[in-house]
Amino acid sequence: MTDGPLIVQSDKTLLLEVDHDLADQCRREIAPFAELERAPEHVHTYRVTPLALWNARAAGHDAEQVVDALLKFSRYPVPHALLVDVADTMARYGRLRLEKHPMHGLVLLSTDHAVLEEVVRAKKIKGLLGARLGPDAVAVHPSERGTLKQALLKLGWPAEDLAGYVDGEKHPISLAEDGWALRSYQKHAADAFWHGGSGVVVLPCGAGKTIVGAAAMAHAGATTLILVTNTVSAHQWKQELLKRTSLTEDEIGEYTGTKKEVRPVTIATYQIMTTRRQGTYRHLELFDARDWGLVVYDEVHLLPAPIFRMTADLQARRRLGLTATLVREDGREGDVFSLIGPKRYDAPWKEMETQGWIAPADCVEVRVTLTDSERLAYATAEPEERYRFCATTETKSQVVETLVTRHAGEQTLVIGQYIDQLDELAERLDAPVIKGETRIRERERLFDAFRSGEISCLVVSKVANFSIDLPEASVAIQISGAFGSRQEEAQRLGRVLRPKASGGGARFYAVVSRDTLDQDYAAHRQRFLAEQGYAYRIVDADAVLAGDEI
Amino acid sequence: MDSYADWLRARGDDDLRTLLALRPELITPVPADLGALAARAAAPASLSRALDRLDRFTLNVLEALLVLTQPVTHEMLAGTLAGDPAGNAGTDRSGTDLSGTGASGTGVSGTGVSGADVRAAVDRLRAHGVVWGDDDALRTAPGLRQALPHPAGLGPPAREAFASYSADRLRMLFDALGLPSVNAFADPAELTTVLADRLTAPDDLIHAAGPAAAGALNELAWGPPIGRVDNARRAVRVDSANSPIERLLARGLLVATDDRTVTLPREVALFLRKGRLFRDLTTEPPPLEGAVRDRALIDRTAGGAAFTVVRLVEDLLERWGVDPPAVLRTGGLGVRDLRATAALLDVEQWRAALLIEAAYTSGLLARTGDTDGEWLPTKAYDVWRMRDTATRWAELVTGWLNGDRVPGLVGERDSRDKAINALADESVRGIAAHTRRAVLLALASAGAAPDADAVREHLAWREPRRGRRLRDQLVGWTLREAEMLGLTGLGALSSHARALLSDRASSGRDATNELVKVLPEPVDHVLVQADLTAIAPGPLVTELARELALMADVESTGGATVFRFTAESVRRALDAGRTAAELADLLTRHSATPIPQPLTYLIEDVARRHGHLRVGIASCYIRTDDPATLDELMADRRAGALRLHRLAPTVIASRLQRHELLEALRGLGLAPVAESSEGGVVITRLDTHRAEPTARLYPETAADGLRLSLDPSVITAAVRALRAGEEAARLTAPAGEPPRTPSMATIEELRGAVERGSRVWIGYLDQQGQASSRIVEPVRVEGGFLTAYDATRASVQRFALHRITGMAEVDAPDSSAP
Repeated sequence: MTDGPLIVQSDKTLLLEVDHDLADQCRREIAPFAELERAPEHVHTYRVTPLALWNARAAGHDAEQVVDALLKFSRYPVPHALLVDVADTMARYGRLRLEKHPMHGLVLLSTDHAVLEEVVRAKKIKGLLGARLGPDAVAVHPSERGTLKQALLKLGWPAEDLAGYVDGEKHPISLAEDGWALRSYQKHAADAFWHGGSGVVVLPCGAGKTIVGAAAMAHAGATTLILVTNTVSAHQWKQELLKRTSLTEDEIGEYTGTKKEVRPVTIATYQIMTTRRQGTYRHLELFDARDWGLVVYDEVHLLPAPIFRMTADLQARRRLGLTATLVREDGREGDVFSLIGPKRYDAPWKEMETQGWIAPADCVEVRVTLTDSERLAYATAEPEERYRFCATTETKSQVVETLVTRHAGEQTLVIGQYIDQLDELAERLDAPVIKGETRIRERERLFDAFRSGEISCLVVSKVANFSIDLPEASVAIQISGAFGSRQEEAQRLGRVLRPKASGGGARFYAVVSRDTLDQDYAAHRQRFLAEQGYAYRIVDADAVLAGDEI
Repeated sequence: MDSYADWLRARGDDDLRTLLALRPELITPVPADLGALAARAAAPASLSRALDRLDRFTLNVLEALLVLTQPVTHEMLAGTLAGDPAGNAGTDRSGTDLSGTGASGTGVSGTGVSGADVRAAVDRLRAHGVVWGDDDALRTAPGLRQALPHPAGLGPPAREAFASYSADRLRMLFDALGLPSVNAFADPAELTTVLADRLTAPDDLIHAAGPAAAGALNELAWGPPIGRVDNARRAVRVDSANSPIERLLARGLLVATDDRTVTLPREVALFLRKGRLFRDLTTEPPPLEGAVRDRALIDRTAGGAAFTVVRLVEDLLERWGVDPPAVLRTGGLGVRDLRATAALLDVEQWRAALLIEAAYTSGLLARTGDTDGEWLPTKAYDVWRMRDTATRWAELVTGWLNGDRVPGLVGERDSRDKAINALADESVRGIAAHTRRAVLLALASAGAAPDADAVREHLAWREPRRGRRLRDQLVGWTLREAEMLGLTGLGALSSHARALLSDRASSGRDATNELVKVLPEPVDHVLVQADLTAIAPGPLVTELARELALMADVESTGGATVFRFTAESVRRALDAGRTAAELADLLTRHSATPIPQPLTYLIEDVARRHGHLRVGIASCYIRTDDPATLDELMADRRAGALRLHRLAPTVIASRLQRHELLEALRGLGLAPVAESSEGGVVITRLDTHRAEPTARLYPETAADGLRLSLDPSVITAAVRALRAGEEAARLTAPAGEPPRTPSMATIEELRGAVERGSRVWIGYLDQQGQASSRIVEPVRVEGGFLTAYDATRASVQRFALHRITGMAEVDAPDSSAP
């Protein structure tokens, strides 16, 4: 009996005991072929999926190495069936290849006649293929490259895409590392992406994903299309690029509701891309407006469906996805992988924290007990109104007020879902509020004021969920949210994770009504972070109100 | 020694014991004497069973013996098998003359079979009672020709084959073969002898029949030597023959043995075989080669599988205990239920079928009722569940090993093209247990990990007459099932499986001891994490596993177990009667890490709400506006029997039926009303159901052959009984009347005989007044009865003393009897 750090489960999850001496070595060896699923304090869970195995193959690992790693670190005998399955799965990769043929253009080749036959006959694939060029080759419509890859993946015969990428229109971009330097993980991430061709980089909020994007652009040295979630975010990308790269104001265009500039580097919002007029997506032609050498998708977990469809046609271009949390409540993670590309880099949040790249955060759930009248009102509310009811109670507002007072002097964000509630809170706290209808200019003014410390408390709606750069926010109070969204919770925590000048930690409060839907949703929302190792402490609202140490 | 029976009688007790051990069916029931035993042992059906147990080489030796003219000397037999023509010199002309086939000396090459090999095989055959006689006169048991009609794939000698031909037909053949014509009154026997002679060198005849006909002959040459044709007996002439078969029939190269069968005469076959009896003759089974792996790795892998399989069976039966599937009208388990089970256990369907069948044959699972029954765990399962993993494994695997059910057949089609269901009677196959054991023993002898085909070939040599297609399938199934059950690891037999297969009485315990060494050490702690999971980094001690499974959902299993705490799971534990404090205490005691706060809150939250509302059973209630009346009632001593429960100042509950309560209250001089429950927490956890265990589903002992299936003491007793029967048969009552003795003297004498253990001859008058005489062994004289063993009837009988007319001692005490 060896005493390894790894336990291989029959459902293909791998449990890694973190405190084990060999844990680090083991982590390095299993990371190429297993997805980190959960990383709480003692035992991390990895999952061996076909996708992960194929990615490992694509990265040059073979089944032998995988089996070796499992046997070497496993504490208990590894089920034989699992090892066989690993070998079988990995053997499926590369039977089919997509290549560029000098005469026929894009072709699907196979070393295994039977596999090609099976694939060619599959209903979903038939329409994507062109003429048969021989027993082992079939032409592919260039526009169907992405769709075909997606369909093949679903069939379990992933194609090795060797057709390469178009270089795109050349445009020199370099990093201007004056007074700052690319962090090691950012460099790793950019290199991993470039080496892999296309793919997704997963980094916690505040870890500098924009810079990874800039580094990737420097690698590409070509015209770049950047897709972001909203206009403020577009501005911030622009600022960041001006600061970090050799690009000048004239080289960067904005393609938003107000401006429609197409320049060598163009930043567009998902919203404008998916705006429909008379039933057609008018702005999708932006994808073809230039010969883009790189397409960057910010917050890729939010990618809307029409963009997915467009992206399928962009398989010849390099694509980079950036996100903090690859959990989609709609379960379309698989589409992200097959259309943007596999995960190229992933860093556990807690690891970044120990390395000091993100601020340590203390998550506190404040449990509020409803008053009897509130409970009665909650109990009799219509089902669709119930969450709103328990999420916006008066008792909660009192707690928020107390918390803000407690943290007076610290930069504090109050984040909520319901505008009425936010307006009311803003009034009580005497703080400005940013919501959907706030004009872009006003938003930016407020953000600047917050940044400079002119205002220390800001009430924001979900518009601020993403990509707003609030360097010195050290306290966030979440009062209500979009039901049980795990990634929203993570994004909101991300607001306070940027390393603080003081080197101190951040506080994240979630105010929750006890024994209501609010509490159930909160439990679900916290799951992602709990799995990343953020242990929520639970504190009673009475303790907060009474001014106890928390 | 001139008969099989005489030979058998002359065998020593040890020889007889060996025979009975090898052929246990001979003593079910015990025959009266050795003559009866001989008759039974030499019957074709019984011999056929005996042959099933022989390996290919031994069978080959036997076949050679059948081909030769008996009696055969050892040298002759050995010579024939060694391919040495000199050894054939002794065959007499009336039998098959192997040296006279025209090909001798050229076609027969040395086979490398030594005299010692042959002697060993003959000894085996003798031990089985298939061959008898000394080395200088070996004979086969009388019924053997019928049991083995085509020895070595050869047809009958021409002399026998042509026996059914009429003289006219024979003369026709004589003409066709260009033999000197014979007169009309020639003896058919002489004619066939001439024919047989002619057929030993049929080269020219085969040539004349043409290439198609030669091809047909070659088809039959190595057996079976018979072919089916329509209207085989028609008379065909050389000139009118127009098919290859007719051309052969016309030349006597094939013989019509009945209306639809043609047979290749032995002489022609031997010619075609160039005098060889066997295509290949090997004294050793084909080797079992395969990858040789590290023993420790094999044991560990098998141990892991054993652990998993026990857990899976427990999961399965726990689930079925709560939610049992229905018994099909035809008796099995529905396809849909099987599929659901496979999904539940997250295994392929054949694995699910194996688990279900193994649980069934081990008596852990049974059906209830005949119609609308359900498949439920038995009470034996509750006992099984309490045992440690190794013991549970041993019980489960023993059931599988010895059961006659074939899980591999589940999902296959039966003879009527219907899919075979799990747990259905259609999957019973008599040779299942035997083949399984044979496969595993083959693995044991190999020490490596041979593939299925190698094992099949090996078994085909060891027991060529058993199984065929079914056995080949069983080999494949057994190998994959053994791997899943943890008997093998990486295809090679594990140490614990080896121990289990041994003949020792302690095999089960030995296997358990071996298995314990490789099973993961049970742990008694878990790691509790803030994401509301608890991880047991190894198999948990049973009690803790059960408690945790109650308060948390199992999310993933394998070497470790991942539990997730949810509000529902905690509520489940509270419903089962645990308190929040108990849960917290259990976790604190068994957690290697501090309990994270969210979990504490979860338990407290659920507990706080749990039991907030209380539900009781009340068949009726008493209500009044005047609490004082109730005070009075409660204080009334006579009301004690009414089991009254005061819920509120103005409400009292009672579990009595309304009319009972009414009556009782009236008896107290009151006017009544009611409600229920003693107000305590009612445990509402769903009761799991159990079926009655069925009788054992596999025979007490493994199938015969590979293991001495009978207790030696039983065999010894049988031999003794046979000897006694023999004795009794020899010593039937002496002629004449039994002696008459006075009754007092008779009793005295009988007592003396009991003491001396001697045999007596008694005269006896039965209830009908019929006089008879018996030879018996007195055992006891008491209460007016003689209890004695009557050897002729092979039973213990009681004789009324007053009906015994007289007695005489027959012989001195038998010194050989123990």
